[in-house]
Amino acid sequence: MTAAAAFAAALDRAQRTASPISRLDAGEVIGLGTAYAAQHALVARRVARGEHITGVKLGFTSRAKAAQMGVDDVIIGTITDAMRVADGGDFDPRGAIHPRVEPEVAYLLGTDLDGSPDAELDPATVIAAVAPALEVIDSRYRDFRFSLDDVVADNASAAAYAIGPWRSPAGAGPLDNRAVRLELGGRLAQTGSTAAILGDPVRALAAARRLAREHGFALRAGTVLLAGAATAAVPLPDHGLVEATIAGLGRVSFRVERSAPARGAAGARPAARGAAERHPERQEDA
Amino acid sequence: MTGDTTAAALHAAEERLHTAARDGVACPPVRELIGETDQDAAYTVQSLGLARRLADGRRIVGRKIGLTSAAVQAQFGVFTPDYGVLLDDMVFADREPIDLGRFLQPRVEAEVAFVLGRDLDSPTTHVAEVLAATEFVLPAIEVVDSRIAGWDIRITDTIADNASSGAIVLGTTPRRIDGLDLAELGMRLDHEGEPVSTGSGAACLGSPVIAVAWLARQVARHGRPLRAGEIVLSGALGPMVAASAGVFHARLDGLGEVRADFTTTALEGAAA
Repeated sequence: MTAAAAFAAALDRAQRTASPISRLDAGEVIGLGTAYAAQHALVARRVARGEHITGVKLGFTSRAKAAQMGVDDVIIGTITDAMRVADGGDFDPRGAIHPRVEPEVAYLLGTDLDGSPDAELDPATVIAAVAPALEVIDSRYRDFRFSLDDVVADNASAAAYAIGPWRSPAGAGPLDNRAVRLELGGRLAQTGSTAAILGDPVRALAAARRLAREHGFALRAGTVLLAGAATAAVPLPDHGLVEATIAGLGRVSFRVERSAPARGAAGARPAARGAAERHPERQEDA
Repeated sequence: MTGDTTAAALHAAEERLHTAARDGVACPPVRELIGETDQDAAYTVQSLGLARRLADGRRIVGRKIGLTSAAVQAQFGVFTPDYGVLLDDMVFADREPIDLGRFLQPRVEAEVAFVLGRDLDSPTTHVAEVLAATEFVLPAIEVVDSRIAGWDIRITDTIADNASSGAIVLGTTPRRIDGLDLAELGMRLDHEGEPVSTGSGAACLGSPVIAVAWLARQVARHGRPLRAGEIVLSGALGPMVAASAGVFHARLDGLGEVRADFTTTALEGAAA
């Protein structure tokens, strides 16, 4: 078994049993190449269990967050249908180790995004739709402590996500400075601006294209790009409503609820995979 | 009421802060003189400093509210904001060069400035009265500064030091408050084209108008009510960041923009 495969097996087990593990690179530096190879192996294990890839997510898109975590570049991870929580649906926290939640902007790709990093990138062509999103991150490492390589191998801490109603990019307008609210149980938990996402979330397209090319990801039409967090992540409460609002764009919510089907079993759930991605004009999960 | 703090200690604290500002040399914390918890004593020191500046010919043009974010209140171990006084020599306009040499250790934050069309002099002022009394609002950058070395401050240090005020930079396009949702206002503060602080109106006590209502009640109770024409800086919409030479550009979504242009040209002259 290669080092990458061994890392993937350990991280996969940690996620499936909700048991944190020690950092991979505590002894020696793994290197970014091996870290992404581990992530691909980890995602391959999930796909082998029947999960479908729904898109990618970016991490460390805020300068403050990168500084907080002691990392210095944007990273990319993979999201699958088993991580999908319906807008207004339930999320069972029992499958997670120490989940945190953050408000994000989600893009639906209208074309494959695979050009050269230097090629012109026209957001109006590439973006089919845009929506407010919530992402649950859950490091598989003890105490949420990791290096850049560690977190890359751990699929950028991806755990779950919910996407609100899609809107056309023209209807949504520029998103470089929209007020963002994260509310827990109706109370304000974090506030911020979409400017925290790379200065303008639309820059996530170019960042994702560069990272995809460097590290072997496919960015296909009809898949989702989670562009990054607009505020700091906060610990997910044990129960209750979690809601994100982006001014002029919309809102998205889910309920943390222990009676929900366990997330680990969600792969078997016949999620409405891709339907909304393919038909952005349809309000998913309404 | 200033608890057990003696008049001599209050005057010594004011003298220390005044000397630091005059000489451009930061001083040790005044909590050494007035304690860490007695806010009334600290506001008395602030009033002594204000009296000195008014006697020097300065004029009150408004107020500033500080400690409006939950995170900063937690850091200070307090559950309310604080406030200070804005004087005529602190006010700059969009793009007007500001000599960094006038500050000791400046930091900047983006805010909403309210300009009042009538007095708000009731100790029971509520948000609807604030909205009704607001002539217009402006985007603003506040330059905060501390006379206390290294920003080593507790609540009493900052209150005594006029709520760590430095200067304000006002946008020049007034907006009526009608139809503006100040809580849903995105804020980005860019330096050299990249955001260095981001936030929203909700970061300020839930909405800047709530902060102004709080201030109106406080200052009406303490004898210097808000008057028509005054500017109220309502509190930071995101984290404060260190000021440095160059342009800090604040954009308040739906309200407008304002730039603070910090220069160092006069530093040599000021050092004399």
